[in-house]
Amino acid sequence: MKDARLPWLRPVVALVISAFFLVPLYMILVNVFKRGEKITQSPASLPAPPTLDNITGLLTRTDDLFWASLTNSVVVTTLSIILLTILSAMLGHYLARTRGRWARVATLLLLSGLMIPPQVILMPVTQVLRAFGLMTTVQGLVLFNVGYYIPFGVFVFSGFLRGIPIELEEAAAIDGASRSRVFWRVVFPLLRPATASVLIFLGVWIWNDFIDPLVILGPSQGTTITTGIYRSIGQYQADFGTVFALMFLATLPVLIFYLFLQKHFVKGLTGGATKG
Amino acid sequence: MAVDVKRTAVPASATRRSRGPRRPALDRLRAFALFGAPGLLVYICFVLAPIVISFGYSLTNHNPFNPPTRFVGLRNYQTLFTDAEFLTSLRVTTILTVIVVIVPNVAGLGIAVLLDRRGWLYNALRTVFFTPMVLSSVVVSIVWTRMLDDEGLVNQSLRALGVARPPGWLSDPGLALYSIAIILSWQMLGFCVVVYLAGLQGVPVELSEAAAIDGAGPVRRFRSVTWPLLAPALTINTVVLLISAFKIFDHIQVITHGGPGTGTTATIAYNVLQTGLVANRQGYASATAIVMLVIIAAAATVTLRVLNRREVNL
Repeated sequence: MKDARLPWLRPVVALVISAFFLVPLYMILVNVFKRGEKITQSPASLPAPPTLDNITGLLTRTDDLFWASLTNSVVVTTLSIILLTILSAMLGHYLARTRGRWARVATLLLLSGLMIPPQVILMPVTQVLRAFGLMTTVQGLVLFNVGYYIPFGVFVFSGFLRGIPIELEEAAAIDGASRSRVFWRVVFPLLRPATASVLIFLGVWIWNDFIDPLVILGPSQGTTITTGIYRSIGQYQADFGTVFALMFLATLPVLIFYLFLQKHFVKGLTGGATKG
Repeated sequence: MAVDVKRTAVPASATRRSRGPRRPALDRLRAFALFGAPGLLVYICFVLAPIVISFGYSLTNHNPFNPPTRFVGLRNYQTLFTDAEFLTSLRVTTILTVIVVIVPNVAGLGIAVLLDRRGWLYNALRTVFFTPMVLSSVVVSIVWTRMLDDEGLVNQSLRALGVARPPGWLSDPGLALYSIAIILSWQMLGFCVVVYLAGLQGVPVELSEAAAIDGAGPVRRFRSVTWPLLAPALTINTVVLLISAFKIFDHIQVITHGGPGTGTTATIAYNVLQTGLVANRQGYASATAIVMLVIIAAAATVTLRVLNRREVNL
């Protein structure tokens, strides 16, 4: 269908709406390069002259706020998504290829995990972690992430597996390959699009997680980048320069990641929307 | 291909046969131990067991700093339904959820229809609308606080336009909840846009054209051809928004801490952690958490069932 009359109307309306929509993002971008007092006085003005003081100040802080948080976030996110991909691909495959009542019950229990709010389980999770001696450790947070997000991984992988003919696996098994070999050599390479979705979505979610690292890592034992931002608004109420620099640097990696992989984001989201 | 032929020419299965008869039960056990067990074990430890533990605590007066812990039966649950704090949080969460299910759904559909054209401009704008979805809610909360603050960007602009006393978006107890609903809608909008756009692009052009030839105007075409075909997109958006809005915590923690005033923006999720981890009334907080879980499960199941039936009937 073409826009017959007023062909310029659609792009103009779209641009105006997007401009309003973009204001908060614009705020982050301009205020990073402004001095602290300017941020409260004239939040929307262009940074003239721009200054890199906020960023360099943050990078060279003596308490290492940025580098320590960044390291924690990178370690937690990387370990979590690698473990999640491996475990949920194997579990998704196991459940998709196993008949019987128990497999169905397990699938149902896992899928209901998709809607469990973290607040419901966080208190007892701290006790479980304490029992394992993993409370306030990065390992503890990674393990919790694996447990909490595995339903999403299983959901994506087992959905994708339904489209892969089982004959491929049977053929490899007849050729004498063991179950592990069939999985890693035949099935896992075919799951690449699903793996991409799982890595991308869980990567962004875990990077941005707030309440889980806040509670599990605790106040003493380091911060991730999001809890670092939260703590910096309490601590340095007046110094918005630092806060904006921290927000900017925390968002930059995810944003670059998103801009490069946006096709996968869209594909991952809309798989279910168009199948009907 | 040539390689494949060579490989199948050697009957690899022949060498396996010497191992003796297959033992299916043992095989199944080994497959479970290797593939099923590791993931399930972590899930049980960190999700299922905590729910059971939570339920256990909800029947006690557990408070780690005020022992001994005693079994109190269903008393926590009875208290809950006469507790003004809980009832307020139920009301706050319901209002927030209703707004956040409706606003991004409606606005998202409008913007998706607007962007449903080919070309670099529309692709770029789709990217723009989705961007808030990849931002941390802490970042979103802080930026919006700077904007909606009494002396923030929005009120500075309103004053410049001649409004003498602009509203206290986040400081007025009657308004803060709605401001937060708008912030959440802004963040979730892109999700709906992308899902609706995919739905729109799945609508066969021939159908709309046929309807146009039959004399249907744009509104009629949308209602009778496009909208029914968007049913799966509506289902996904509604259920995802419902589940995410109901458990809102981060924005409350960063922007208002449940205020201004008492509990005007305290959601159930916020109350659970305040009561449990700050006030340490873990028995009572567990009961709140279990009720929250029951409500969200019921709401999601009913919504999904209603929307799925609607999809079938269309």
